[in-house]
Amino acid sequence: MPGVTAPTRGQVLSLYKQFIKNSNQFNNYNFRQYFLRRTRDTFRENVNQKDPKVLMNLFKDAKNELGVLKRQSVISQMYTFDRLVVEPLKGRKH
Amino acid sequence: MFKSICKISSRMAPSACRTMLARPVMANSILAQRFYSANLSQDQISQRVIDVIKAFDKNSPSIANKQISSDTQFHKDLGLDSLDTVELLVAIEEEFDIEIPDKVADDLRSVGETVNYIASNPDAN
Repeated sequence: MPGVTAPTRGQVLSLYKQFIKNSNQFNNYNFRQYFLRRTRDTFRENVNQKDPKVLMNLFKDAKNELGVLKRQSVISQMYTFDRLVVEPLKGRKH
Repeated sequence: MFKSICKISSRMAPSACRTMLARPVMANSILAQRFYSANLSQDQISQRVIDVIKAFDKNSPSIANKQISSDTQFHKDLGLDSLDTVELLVAIEEEFDIEIPDKVADDLRSVGETVNYIASNPDAN
């Protein structure tokens, strides 16, 4: 099959950035932390992946998932959630 | 928008307000000047960048115990890989309310470079 090209380093980093940014947008602490954790774990898991075919599939799947993540984070912003006790009072994240 | 310019300038010099509205070019230059003068100083920026870095990964001793200066390199000195760096830059973007384009983000390898970029970005606050 021609045209099996692995995504470039820049493309992957840009995708990672979008995942992190969109995960940060979740209003709900549990969802936010879950997606951040999941993003980090999935990307790290494949840090040493070399096979272009596998990489291309991973990239394609991740792009679909990013779509889901974007939709859900927007939906999450339509609701208010009480802060959990583990959340810092001022600001958030970090 | 002009109303707010008027308000700002009338606080400084009440009589200047009308003249400024009559000469929008001048008003623009004063506005720009004001905004730039209200901009962050290099020291403030680097302090805030360092705070973000310190808060970034509390579990990592390599960051917590390090003296961070403008020469500190993300990869070499802090031991951050490319994914970590991307995450750190997102945290910095959120701190200063800016967006760092991918092309620029690729070239930011040290604290000093990041501070310089933020200082050159008029949107940073």
